[in-house]
Amino acid sequence: MITFFKSDNFYRDASFAFTTWISLICVYFLIPDPGIHDIIQKVFILGLFALSLNILIGYLGLIAFGHAAFFAAGAYTLGLFLQSDLIINYNLGPYSIPIAILLSILISALLATIIGAICIRLKDIYFSFLTLAFQMFIYSIILALVNITGGDQGLMGGFPKPPFLGIDLGKPFDFYAFTIFISILVILMLRQLIESPFGYGLRMIRDNGERPAALGFNTQNHKLIAFIIAGAIAGLAGSLQALLDVGAYPEWAFWSKSAEPLFMILLGGMNTFLGPLMGALIFEILNDFVTANTRYYGLVLGLVILVFVLGFKRGLLDWLIMKIERK
Amino acid sequence: MLKLTKLSKSFGGVVATNNVSLELKKQTINAVIGPNGAGKTTLFNLITGKLISDSGKIYLDNNNITNLSEPEITHLGIARAFQITNIFPSLTVYESIKLALLSKSNGLNNMWTRFKDHQINNSANEIIELAGMVKSKNIVSSELSHGDQKLLDIALALSLNPKILLLDEPTAGMGPEERWKMIERIKDLWKKTKMTILFIEHDMDIVFDIAQKIYVLQQGAILAEGSPQIIKKDKEVIKAYLGGGKK
Repeated sequence: MITFFKSDNFYRDASFAFTTWISLICVYFLIPDPGIHDIIQKVFILGLFALSLNILIGYLGLIAFGHAAFFAAGAYTLGLFLQSDLIINYNLGPYSIPIAILLSILISALLATIIGAICIRLKDIYFSFLTLAFQMFIYSIILALVNITGGDQGLMGGFPKPPFLGIDLGKPFDFYAFTIFISILVILMLRQLIESPFGYGLRMIRDNGERPAALGFNTQNHKLIAFIIAGAIAGLAGSLQALLDVGAYPEWAFWSKSAEPLFMILLGGMNTFLGPLMGALIFEILNDFVTANTRYYGLVLGLVILVFVLGFKRGLLDWLIMKIERK
Repeated sequence: MLKLTKLSKSFGGVVATNNVSLELKKQTINAVIGPNGAGKTTLFNLITGKLISDSGKIYLDNNNITNLSEPEITHLGIARAFQITNIFPSLTVYESIKLALLSKSNGLNNMWTRFKDHQINNSANEIIELAGMVKSKNIVSSELSHGDQKLLDIALALSLNPKILLLDEPTAGMGPEERWKMIERIKDLWKKTKMTILFIEHDMDIVFDIAQKIYVLQQGAILAEGSPQIIKKDKEVIKAYLGGGKK
């Protein structure tokens, strides 16, 4: 079983991914509770967000603190595109959702190219602060462009979700199956990336920033590509979140939104590929059950993180893997 | 093969490399000696493009490589090992060597295959054997002994199959016995690969034992150069470095 999870064969990963998807479809029918369905799809959306950040934190060793900029860029791109006249003018109808999602990924990637090209020149805390600065810049732009973004009210008025390929995202089941399918597909692609020579190049840079150049390895390009991929996936997560909430909000570009995937990574573990997804699950369960029972959500979250950091000294999945390997 | 002409570099007011000219002949083994702060490591940093010189030129096989970037120079065939061990702590010996090989062949941009299935295993094994690290092949680098970490550092440079290998104090921090073992390894390597080697070393016995040509650096400038016999007798060198007070 363990060798299965630690396997680095693409086909095994793919069959694991597909099985997970089918199982979650079964869960939908076995547990007919919309609350549970909502939690599961949110875990995948937030999991994508956290996994994308972990490319930078866990594998590249760069603590990016402005990742929400790309999440928000994806969300607003999707919302604005679906609200725009382009849909009617070009009669996009059934194609509008796929186009909107692809456009979100593209715009976030473009934004990540610009921000990344500047940020990756810096290291450590300087890198973190510059990413944060860019994010707050994006946040200010969203607030300032009231006519387009709705300012601090967020992107209101909703947007149509025309069915495509027989998938109607207006129906809860379609949305659930679609979101989880896309997420699992991207996670599978990410897994391939992390286990490829490219992914090991990231580990080289994380382990030793100086030596790769003396091996003829141009690390700046490598870092930038990783930053763009991370931004693009965060953008996809943002667009799925916007589809779910039928809107987009400026808080999604605020610094506290960048802290969320960081918490998930801490909770779930940064050294195991699926750690951040596990973190998203813990985060979402806490969010759901704690906010239902107490107003002191932040306090509970803080205590839980303390338990993980001081008690386990690592995220849950990292801890579990360590326990299993020692046996 | 490698030729430096009037190479200079200063940091603020301190001249670290002062008008250095030298020429390494093919398939020779050469040493740089000099007291601490003589500019030995700076010279290596200039040759490998880690630092840009203020003036002077560097030629590799008659091609001007001055001002090229570190990765570019590495690809042209100059590889180095470091004084302070410079390895990848969380990766195993085998993974590290494989990555160095991939780096040389520009294979690190590949996103479509699995690193673990990558078909360069044979050459990785050859390098590990050449470096004498077969036993520690699957050990994570941070858990290696100091000597093996040094060896891995050199093996990383070796995987680039360089024309010129620069070794910055390959025996730093080792006990006497370990030192000679390392030196034997380097000698052996040189005989097997016939690459041109330039190394920095403090231990005079070692230098006189294996170097064919020695460069003595003092305050960034070359004080003397020549075969061990010549250097041993050089009055300037004896006065400045070998301790003229004795006898």
